[in-house]
Amino acid sequence: MLNRLLRRSAAEEASDGSSGLASQQRLQSASGVLFIYLVCIVAALVISALVVWGTGGSWSSVLSSLLDGSIRRPGRWGKTIGEAIPLLLVALGMIINLKAGLVNIGQEGQLYVGAAFATYVGTFMSGPGVLVLIVILLAGILGGAIWAGIASVLRYWRNIPEVFSTLLLVFVANQAVGYGLKNTRLLLDPTPDTGNRNLISDQLAEGTRLPRLELFGNEFPVSVFVALLLAVSVSLVMRRTIVGFRLQMLGSGPRAAHRAGVSDRLYGGLSLAVSGAFCGLAGAFMLTGGDFGNYRLTPGFPVNIGWEGLLVALMARSQPILSVIAAFVFAALRTGAGFLAATGVDSEITKVVQALLVLALLIPPAILYVRDRRRTLAAAKERT
Amino acid sequence: MVTLQPAAAELLGITKRFGAVVACSNVDLKLRKGEIHGILGENGAGKSTLMKVLIGLALPDAGSILIHGKPSRIKDPAEAASLGIGMVHQHFSLVEPLTVWENVILGEQARLSASSARRRVKEISERYGLEIDPNDRVFNLSAGLRQRVEIIKCLRRDPGIVVLDEPTAVLTPQESEQLFRVLRRVVERDNKAVALVSHKLDEVLSATDRITIMRAGEVVERLNTSEADAPSLARAMLGRPVSLRSKGIALGHIEIDEGLAEEGGGSESEEPGILPVLRISGASAKGRDGRVLLDSLSLEVRPGEIVGVAGVEGNGQAALGDVMSSLLRLQSGTVTVGGKQIPTGKPGAMARAGVAVIPSDRHESGCVLNMSVAENLTLVSPPRSSLGLGILDRKARRSQAEILMAQFAVQASGPEAPMWSLSGGNQQRVLLARELSGNPKVLVASQPTRGLDVGGIEYVSNRIRQAAEEGVGVLLISTELEEVLDIAERIVILFRGGIVGEMPRSGVDIERLGLLMSGAAAATAAGAAAC
Repeated sequence: MLNRLLRRSAAEEASDGSSGLASQQRLQSASGVLFIYLVCIVAALVISALVVWGTGGSWSSVLSSLLDGSIRRPGRWGKTIGEAIPLLLVALGMIINLKAGLVNIGQEGQLYVGAAFATYVGTFMSGPGVLVLIVILLAGILGGAIWAGIASVLRYWRNIPEVFSTLLLVFVANQAVGYGLKNTRLLLDPTPDTGNRNLISDQLAEGTRLPRLELFGNEFPVSVFVALLLAVSVSLVMRRTIVGFRLQMLGSGPRAAHRAGVSDRLYGGLSLAVSGAFCGLAGAFMLTGGDFGNYRLTPGFPVNIGWEGLLVALMARSQPILSVIAAFVFAALRTGAGFLAATGVDSEITKVVQALLVLALLIPPAILYVRDRRRTLAAAKERT
Repeated sequence: MVTLQPAAAELLGITKRFGAVVACSNVDLKLRKGEIHGILGENGAGKSTLMKVLIGLALPDAGSILIHGKPSRIKDPAEAASLGIGMVHQHFSLVEPLTVWENVILGEQARLSASSARRRVKEISERYGLEIDPNDRVFNLSAGLRQRVEIIKCLRRDPGIVVLDEPTAVLTPQESEQLFRVLRRVVERDNKAVALVSHKLDEVLSATDRITIMRAGEVVERLNTSEADAPSLARAMLGRPVSLRSKGIALGHIEIDEGLAEEGGGSESEEPGILPVLRISGASAKGRDGRVLLDSLSLEVRPGEIVGVAGVEGNGQAALGDVMSSLLRLQSGTVTVGGKQIPTGKPGAMARAGVAVIPSDRHESGCVLNMSVAENLTLVSPPRSSLGLGILDRKARRSQAEILMAQFAVQASGPEAPMWSLSGGNQQRVLLARELSGNPKVLVASQPTRGLDVGGIEYVSNRIRQAAEEGVGVLLISTELEEVLDIAERIVILFRGGIVGEMPRSGVDIERLGLLMSGAAAATAAGAAAC
């Protein structure tokens, strides 16, 4: 965000030509952003309070159980971190294809296919645990990349917009993995009792699971470090490397990029596949991390992580480092929601509350986007 | 013109600001019935803004408007239309797959009757000499005919006041003359008031009765056309005395210098020893919709030569530019640069082969508006760090950018300023800096001065000449005939995607050039060949 702010104020500086004024504006701009967030969140809280109060519930208990479930109760923030990891990975993938000017909205399916690939390897491969674990993760990456790669091929071979193909492939993924979960030769647990009744996969062997760390009574898998490292890497690649520069060129000026030698098939196609790979890795981490599905693949395994990861990228305004915070916030909403049932407020109402809070987080980036565009347009108009 | 006609429209003290920019400052303008009023000024002088105020596209910050003596507040174009003000815009707003008469009645609210609409179109076209077939589909029409459709659209409501914004930008010289004859009829027969907005001296001198000259948002002079001459108009328009020869493009003034023609005649002859640096042969391409974009186009450019591609807009200029930017793949034909055949449509192939491009769509294929000036200066070959791994050397990029910005006098707050924050002239300088700093073999410049002010036009044309002097083969694609005549040494004429004629700049025959541009000469030549 800082970078974006700096850039914008550089533009203001350009139009005013006075640096003193610019630094003042930068400050105004930063506080302006905070102000927008504050207004939206307060508005969401007030409306939520009215809704809960109007339906006879206790607003204060809703709020405090949200906090209890996400961070306050012992062990809960570890749980929140566990949920934030796949959210962050999905968001990072989304950012990569957004920068290239593509809109992948099939993360849920890519994640599911990645997790299915990972499960297949994990349940059939034998060998030293660490090796199997690495192959499981690679299989997840491959699965996600293949699933997004289908959309790449359709996009650049037949001009099918990736928005549609990625979305529709989610439903294909659900059916395909669902088929795998009915078949013992693919994913279904061969143990006669569990498998046939539940349509779930065999459990991963102990040695092939991700190690979990314990910190102040909170537990989370070590994949958090990989996710953070990837966030920093994506940020560096985008800002400091030729590949990142060319990706962004493709996204903001496809014709100029083509002329300058950036092949949209290569860069666009790969960015979509890489975005799928991030989702696949997220799926593999969910499987091996222990916070989801108890080391088994189940129907509905992705539990909306794919969809919400997309929102994380939007909230972070396509900035990798900010996505870390955004992922944690969204994860907190998820884990906090688990405690809402205990407040006695109707689950429909608590869902409205959650949705309002999500909206409050997504409206400011939209406002900022529109404001930036207006400024750009106004600046462009002044010059004609 | 002895008796003063009553005013149809009066604009009094109009002031309009866009942000910090004052587009119009306390401007008075009186459009009289039965007169063609020329509003002259260079790009950005505020003439278009003034007309937008009259037509209801912009609300003035101060000032008032009297229409037929009655104070009026015009808040949108519909209101302007109801007051009898019609405008023919520079850019057409026609629906191409529809017929002429369908386009004319587009937006009509009442019950439609095809036969009466056709009759109406016929009536108007006969009355004013705007010959056109109401049943033709618009996509089949040339730019000149499309403009007729726009004019008929405008005249159909029988407006008392007609505004034309840079109407000759898309016309051949002959078509322009026809247009002015039509306008003359409009004022003489119907006693309408016509405002002709233009930056071209010659047409304002030949077509108007009265002239208002604007500069930097203010009216600097009002005079009768009969009392005006080109040098004095140019002086008023630019605020300083100028040589008409060097400012020909900006002022829309063609000077045929006989002495130059004779002198140039000798050196113009082809030198057989020099191989062309750019050779396009038999280039054909179709658009996605199957429309022919290029039709076996062939041309050659030798090192140090400036070849001008003249032609009416929409005859393949964009496609030719796209081929040279690797943005369009040819169905057949070849492009050879410096003796080597270059694959068309392959990303970056032309740029790597040494083809520099100043594209006509500079905001799309020329630069990335969201990126900084420094990034835009290094789009094709960003400096790599010695660390390897494809890491950018941002320090080198910055210093490279600073050097280029100084060399090409780019005015911006710094190398990190976003490209969109720059004025059009400065954006064009950034493009020139990037393209010319790469030691190109060929420079393709499409509409390089469009939308620039006089200073910008002068700078860009000088840079292009300088590049040619340094041995770069220059292909100048322009729909502004003045620009082609000013810069090019040899002129080829583009019509329907192919080259239909060629002539040296010296001894140029404007009459024949215009005929070639409209395809007339090609038709007669084809007819002759058939016989």
